Amino acid sequence: MIEIEDLTFQYRESDAPVIEDMSLSIPSGAFAGIIGAAGSGKSTLTYALNGIVPHCYPGDFYGSVRIDGNDTCDTTLTDLSQMVGSVCQDIDSQFVSAVVEDEMLYGLENYGVPHDQIEGRVQEALEAMGIADLRQRLIASLSGGQKQKVAIASILAMRPSVLVLDEPTAELDPASSRNVFALLSHYAEAHGTTVVVVEQKIALLSEFTDLLVVVEAGRIRFAGAPEEVLAHSEELLEIGVNCPRCTTLMNRLAAGGLYAGPVCTDVPSACRALCEVAA
Amino acid sequence: MDGFLEYVPGNSFLHRLNPVTKIAFAIMFAIACFCTGNLVFLCLMLALGLALAASCSMMRQTLGLMRAVLAFSLVLAVLLLLTTPKGDLLVELPWGYIGSDSILAAVVTVIRLEAAAIPLFLTFYVTKMTDLSNSFVKVLHVPYRYAFTFASTVHFIPVFMNDMRGIMEAQTARGVEFDQGGMVRKIRLMVPLCVPLLISSVRKTNSSAIAAEVRGFNLRTRESGYKRYPMTGADWAVIALGVVVLAAAIALSLL
Ligand SMILES: Nc1ncnc2c1ncn2[C@@H]1O[C@H](COP(=O)(O)OP(=O)(O)O)[C@@H](O)[C@H]1O
Ligand SMILES: [Mg+2]
Repeated sequence: MIEIEDLTFQYRESDAPVIEDMSLSIPSGAFAGIIGAAGSGKSTLTYALNGIVPHCYPGDFYGSVRIDGNDTCDTTLTDLSQMVGSVCQDIDSQFVSAVVEDEMLYGLENYGVPHDQIEGRVQEALEAMGIADLRQRLIASLSGGQKQKVAIASILAMRPSVLVLDEPTAELDPASSRNVFALLSHYAEAHGTTVVVVEQKIALLSEFTDLLVVVEAGRIRFAGAPEEVLAHSEELLEIGVNCPRCTTLMNRLAAGGLYAGPVCTDVPSACRALCEVAA
Repeated sequence: MDGFLEYVPGNSFLHRLNPVTKIAFAIMFAIACFCTGNLVFLCLMLALGLALAASCSMMRQTLGLMRAVLAFSLVLAVLLLLTTPKGDLLVELPWGYIGSDSILAAVVTVIRLEAAAIPLFLTFYVTKMTDLSNSFVKVLHVPYRYAFTFASTVHFIPVFMNDMRGIMEAQTARGVEFDQGGMVRKIRLMVPLCVPLLISSVRKTNSSAIAAEVRGFNLRTRESGYKRYPMTGADWAVIALGVVVLAAAIALSLL
């Protein structure tokens, strides 16, 4: 359970708050997506969740963020990291090893996981991301999608109850992006992990998330189930968030009084709705 | 230059040695090269270095390294040649002369630098950085913080070189001609590029420090490491060889 209450944060170097008056509650086991224009404060919001703000970046911090009841300001970063696993935006700077296996071991060794459990955890996390065959490979020799999976697996091995990912598919093609999301959501469901993911591809968010948060200039503009949020396709477009085209189309039909059904978030449902309208 | 100082996977004898052994041997080897000016001994050392490189199929990388060292040592050699008037007179110079011993000194310098560099560089190619730092923590009780700092520094060298190449390519595409003109012009063109490189480097090291911290960096102790790095018979044999080589070099220099 993540509870953000009246959060305002301003970096010491910046002259205006990057996050203003945010309140949000993410239930345990939820798959939450964050979307918004560049510079709207999405990464900073993830820092507030994993404690990098305020522990690593100094600034003015008002309000509170609680993870399973622990206030992030009163908990050390090292303790927080055991609850909240983070995959950062620039994964190349996250890697500490040359070989996949060593990368997997790093967090487990540090947190003192008993040595007889380490092998099982490494294998499980690699399998969850479908990369058991990459174990002995050099990280530098992997494709972007494979690297991303290694970065995620190395965090999953620590079994965090909350997983925060900042634009994990930014450099991936559509097929590998979808694959990463499918693996993540499968893992999260099986382990009851809460996932918070910053993502620009709205189609992925509407397919996989059960809570969609739209951020505009440091404030939450919309938060709710994807169908609720996507009903506002015109406003979303104004703040630089493109809805799937089928959603925009059906919303326009609805606005014109030609369609009265639920919001369509994918092509098959839009297709069915269109057939009904035509009939 | 791609793969510069980056681990090359393999299962050769050198790959399997304890990382501490490899570093210790490489250092003793390098010191030995600097202890004596005996040309025959240095040539033997160079041959040994090349044999080591061949034993782990690292000849291509080693020859690349030797070419780089050659360029550097030739400059030194020429300086020596012009400034040490020793031995039988060969060429008159306005300020002295080039003698037969000057030539010997120049050759010794080149061979010595080449020989000393090979095992040190080989160590990085046949050892994973993580193993190097972990074994230093386990075997030599080096505090993890220092080992990690060292490992990250080496880890970042190829990243920086990559960034530098990226920036230079972008500038070349905009019409900056790095391959024209002399050394001074080239340096003048490079200096302004160092600022963005420095900024991006600082940002990268900063975010990787944070990434390490959220993965429990602060909790790490000597007991944390999962892998063991026992010293085997082969390790002690290699260290003994290093000691013998070093002793021989010292003996030669005293004779
Ligand atoms: N470490 C930092 N120090 C100072 N300002 C920062 C830092 N990180 C981000 N910012 C500023 O905060 C604003 C929001 O950035 P960010 O959270 O990265 O947005 P997003 O991830 O949505 O693109 C930007 O104006 C950026 O310049
Ligand atoms: Mg961002």
